[in-house]
Amino acid sequence: MSLTVAINGLLIGSLYGLVGMGLSLLAGVVRLINLAQGDILVGGAYLAIALHGVLGWDPLWLLPIVAVAIFCGCYVVQKWLLNSLVTREPLALLVVTFGLSLLLESLYQELFGANPASLPAFWGDTGFTVLGVRIETLYVVAFITGAVLAACTWFLLYRTHFGRTVRAAAADASTARLLGVDVERVFALTFGLAGVLAAAAGVILAVGQSVSPTSGLSLLVFSFTVMVICGIGNVIGAVVAGMFVGLLQAIAGAVIGQSSTDLAVYVFLLVFLIVFPSGILKRRELGIR
Amino acid sequence: MRRRSWFIVAAVLAIGLCMPAVLAPATQYTAVTLVTDMTIALAWNVVVGYGGQLSLGVGAFTGVGAYACGLAMVHLGWGWLEAGLAGLVVCAAFGLVVGLPLLRVKGAYFAVATLVVAVGLQAGAQLWTWAGGGSGFTLPIAQLPSDSTVLRAGVVVLVVALATTLYVQDSRFGLRLRAVRDDEQAAAGLGIATSTYRLVPFVASGILMGLAGQLSALQSVSVSPAGSFSMEWTINASLFVVAGGIGTAVGPLLGVILVYLILTQGLQNLGVASSIIEGVLLVAVLRFAPSGIWPTALSVGKRLESAWKRRAGAQGMAADKEKRQVHVATASAVRER
Repeated sequence: MSLTVAINGLLIGSLYGLVGMGLSLLAGVVRLINLAQGDILVGGAYLAIALHGVLGWDPLWLLPIVAVAIFCGCYVVQKWLLNSLVTREPLALLVVTFGLSLLLESLYQELFGANPASLPAFWGDTGFTVLGVRIETLYVVAFITGAVLAACTWFLLYRTHFGRTVRAAAADASTARLLGVDVERVFALTFGLAGVLAAAAGVILAVGQSVSPTSGLSLLVFSFTVMVICGIGNVIGAVVAGMFVGLLQAIAGAVIGQSSTDLAVYVFLLVFLIVFPSGILKRRELGIR
Repeated sequence: MRRRSWFIVAAVLAIGLCMPAVLAPATQYTAVTLVTDMTIALAWNVVVGYGGQLSLGVGAFTGVGAYACGLAMVHLGWGWLEAGLAGLVVCAAFGLVVGLPLLRVKGAYFAVATLVVAVGLQAGAQLWTWAGGGSGFTLPIAQLPSDSTVLRAGVVVLVVALATTLYVQDSRFGLRLRAVRDDEQAAAGLGIATSTYRLVPFVASGILMGLAGQLSALQSVSVSPAGSFSMEWTINASLFVVAGGIGTAVGPLLGVILVYLILTQGLQNLGVASSIIEGVLLVAVLRFAPSGIWPTALSVGKRLESAWKRRAGAQGMAADKEKRQVHVATASAVRER
């Protein structure tokens, strides 16, 4: 396996890290495993593709618009749908996210067709060579996006008032409510943030690879792998774990064959879950228990 | 099981076995689909509704069942019945192999682990060239049973699923199972071997799902990664059970019938839109009637009944008051005299 493949795998993996970060934030704060996370990512990608068709802007300029739109959508979903179930059955909460995933998937199929689509960008197939290693611009953009958004999320969580309310709600929702935190609003904002992280990853992924209505499922598994490795609520660890998943895919693709990249992650996750049934690091990073 | 349950099971079996003689061939095909869906719904309800373990890996079992049965027919030349029984055994073994290590994994992690098993097996089956790779294989026509035989086999499978549900509903086993679901630690404290009560329903429902997968393979004469290991199985099971009423015996059956009537009959020509409506239905039920249609209907019925009783009671009290006044009047009349 060449160094190029490994480095590209590492860089694209930072996008998986972003999605996994959102997943683990939701699990830590709202106590919700969002089975529609992969489909939100695909939603971001499709939205960018549709906007590109209308406006013709570069994907990086479309990123903020997509982020705002997905944020609003996710906020409403959490406020109207999920908050009413959070305190009740955890089972119903899981099933409803599964229903959302089904709904989104068939919606994409209806609107955009079953064929894979991708996003054109002038930096899509350029690249440069560093110390004899060929690196594609796309992967650098992916890594920078991942790193910047991870840093923003960390700042938001640990250096702002909003972050303090999020961490309070995660530590003990009923006490936080007693102290005047609008927990339902915090939950909705957290879901919006997780959606933005996924949608941003989706826009970049749509440039590099293509997306199809059904690609949400495998992306959910990748991001879940990230969450299980890095633990719940761990922001910086998520990027590292994501890069590990990207590397794992690159290794499997080079050693076994391109068709086995997804399978390698599935097998890894299953074995990992059996050995460490609830992740290796538990709810530590958000200062919880 | 109670005597009533035996009666229900016997009646369903008797009516079901007479069905092929009565139904037209086209209706028989639909009947097999309905019977398969009901089996899936009942099996999923046992492990999720009564057992409280969210399994998103229905496709894993249907796929393993269909592949075991189909490969035995194609490569070993077995008849459909022998192949089906072999598929049952393979599914039971598969359930144990997957279920034992997954005992350690709980809650949402368990849900994702089962999802990964299904998706992983689908990806693996696509690479398995001996079993036809991505496009799968077709079953040998010579060894296939007739449509009415498939329906009869389906009815037998459905009756087994129904009997399992009624057993879980009424027995001590089911009571302990629900105790483990509601509070695993408290149940363990009362001396219940919680591992048993997580593993047994997982394997039992897995066998039933495997049988349903085989039925569907026999019905469509083909086995493929996209069909047999499809995510659609889990989607359908959750939709039927959650819409009808999770953790009840009637709910899943009601769910299958309602969803079938709404989606297949009412919205026949909509194509993809019908799966959008499936999603909307699932989300809407969970938003407005989280316990499902059957329990909601029951509680509405009960409320109406008690309101009716209260009204009847109020009328009774008014009548009593009138009578008392008459008594008082007569008493005073007597005193006056």
